Amino acid sequence: MASAVLFAGFGGIGASMLLALLWAPSVSIDAFESPAAQRIFYWHVPAAWAAFIAFGALFIGSGGWLFKRSERMWRLHVAGSEAGLATGLMTVWSGCVWGAAEWGTPWDWTDVRLNTFGLLTLLAVYVVLGRNSQPDGVETRDTFAAFGLYGFVLVPLTYIATRIWTIRHPGPVVGTDDGGSINSEMGLVLFFSAISFTVLIVGHMMASMRLTDLEQKLERLQSQTDKVV
Amino acid sequence: MAGLLTLNEVEVRRGMDVVLRNHHLTVAGGQCVALVGANGSGKSTVLEAAAGLLPLEKGSVLHGTTVIIDHEGRRRTGPLTLGLTLQKNGVLGSEVVEEHLQMACSMGGTSTDAAPFLAAFNLKHRAKDLVAHLSQGQVRKIAVLSALLPAFASDEACLLLLDEPSTGLDDDAVKVLCGWLSALRQRGHGLLVATHDQRLIEQATHLHDLARGATEPCKAPTDHPDITTPSAPSRRCSPAAFGVKTHLQTMLWLNTNGMAALLTLGILLAMGTFYPDLSPLQQLGFLLAPAFAAGLCGEPLVAAMREERAASWWMAVGGGVPHAGWMPLMIGTVVTAGASVGFEEPLNGLYVLVGALLCFAVWHGVRFMQMATVRLARPHAAMVGLLTPVLILPYAVLIDWLTR
Repeated sequence: MASAVLFAGFGGIGASMLLALLWAPSVSIDAFESPAAQRIFYWHVPAAWAAFIAFGALFIGSGGWLFKRSERMWRLHVAGSEAGLATGLMTVWSGCVWGAAEWGTPWDWTDVRLNTFGLLTLLAVYVVLGRNSQPDGVETRDTFAAFGLYGFVLVPLTYIATRIWTIRHPGPVVGTDDGGSINSEMGLVLFFSAISFTVLIVGHMMASMRLTDLEQKLERLQSQTDKVV
Repeated sequence: MAGLLTLNEVEVRRGMDVVLRNHHLTVAGGQCVALVGANGSGKSTVLEAAAGLLPLEKGSVLHGTTVIIDHEGRRRTGPLTLGLTLQKNGVLGSEVVEEHLQMACSMGGTSTDAAPFLAAFNLKHRAKDLVAHLSQGQVRKIAVLSALLPAFASDEACLLLLDEPSTGLDDDAVKVLCGWLSALRQRGHGLLVATHDQRLIEQATHLHDLARGATEPCKAPTDHPDITTPSAPSRRCSPAAFGVKTHLQTMLWLNTNGMAALLTLGILLAMGTFYPDLSPLQQLGFLLAPAFAAGLCGEPLVAAMREERAASWWMAVGGGVPHAGWMPLMIGTVVTAGASVGFEEPLNGLYVLVGALLCFAVWHGVRFMQMATVRLARPHAAMVGLLTPVLILPYAVLIDWLTR
């Protein structure tokens, strides 16, 4: 099941990229320094959307472990952090590619959204690497679940950053009071890409939760074997 | 007799295993309870839970009538003087023997002459030595003494938690220890001793078998050495006072935070005379960078206190882990003033104050992150440094705000 969802996501993203490169209309040359590079936003924005879903899963999983001691919620924490790391890095590198072409620099240290999103991805790096450096146990789970829970504060901060402190990063393109700044064909491709990324991230998390479940079963079997031996 | 320690239906997990399940244990004044059981049965877990060092999945731990920790994570400092010897010695190598014992004694608000006790353990000639210069067995004696002395000096009932106190001690020292345990029990203190040593078990009034979870009375000797311990009131040593003292003794602050500040300033100065050409925002960013770098190194004591589980000892007995307290304020002041001189800027009192506060806030912010990982099995491997960029954003916002 997880594999099927994962492959559906990959397929959808492949189709979205084809549509983005071959079918979606180009943007106005006057509005952008590097209009061709703008097409990366069909990857960048949905990846960021998927990252927020993953970080949401990390938040729910962390809270579920801390307050309910639920094994299922711990698996969700693991899946959310790994998916958040993957999609966070997708968003960051695609943003750097676009920034290099449009702004002439891959990173702007004065832009709040860039930096808060970078920190969010760094948090995912920390949670994934830090957790893998420790033996599984209640101490490890409590510590990284707490980081997952508190780190989530960066998500709304990142989301509202362009509305409060816009310096360089473009503002929202959909869901705004004026109806957004993209036309219907562009919106359609963006929407299809966002759906595909969502399917991919759901599939990724399902596969990851299954993998963690199998790891836990293996761990239990090893403990039982230790007692017999 | 009044209950000094109650483990109330306690459940503790270590790793993924439930080590204690619905465990109940009480220790009253005048009792010496010996915890017995095979290796891995949970003796140290009971002792550390009793000291409030382990988070509980269920139940609560009471010292006297005060809940010191419960399963919802609420912690409170207990009303009793606690004497604690963990499996590790809980003492830093940089401490002086006599000073460590007086500091341990001060936790009960008293001071006493440690010389007779050191003499009984054949350590009187080592009173002025650093703990690092002692053998393993001698350090163990210091760890045991630091648990017993506060009780000897106290007129009120104390709780003593001793984990394998006779490990590494020679026969003569164990005989002395047995006499002291008997004397302390008969003075009305409560003792919980995890041990395999039959000589210590014979001092117990009760045996608590971990396999069965049951406590049974047993016959303890009534004779004990006559020990007179004149004591005087003493000011309790706080974690901050001990932290500052350790920083000054060991120069930890210079080795980490101070060097980071000096290197940052040195590199900026070595880049040439670009400073006057910078915008005011950039100039202030450069001026405060050494103080920020000093703070970003965090609290070096967090790593240092892992030696012999000194942090755990302090957490249980001293009510907190030692820290540098106000030292970052001093360091921030000095390096920001130094940066002003280096960049040939007139000394601005506001910027020096901001540098001091910045160093203080960042230092303790990083310490908070470091402390968040101390429960881990391998805290040094948790890569807390990856999280420090979180502090760069507030730094940038601060610089931006100050230069508007």
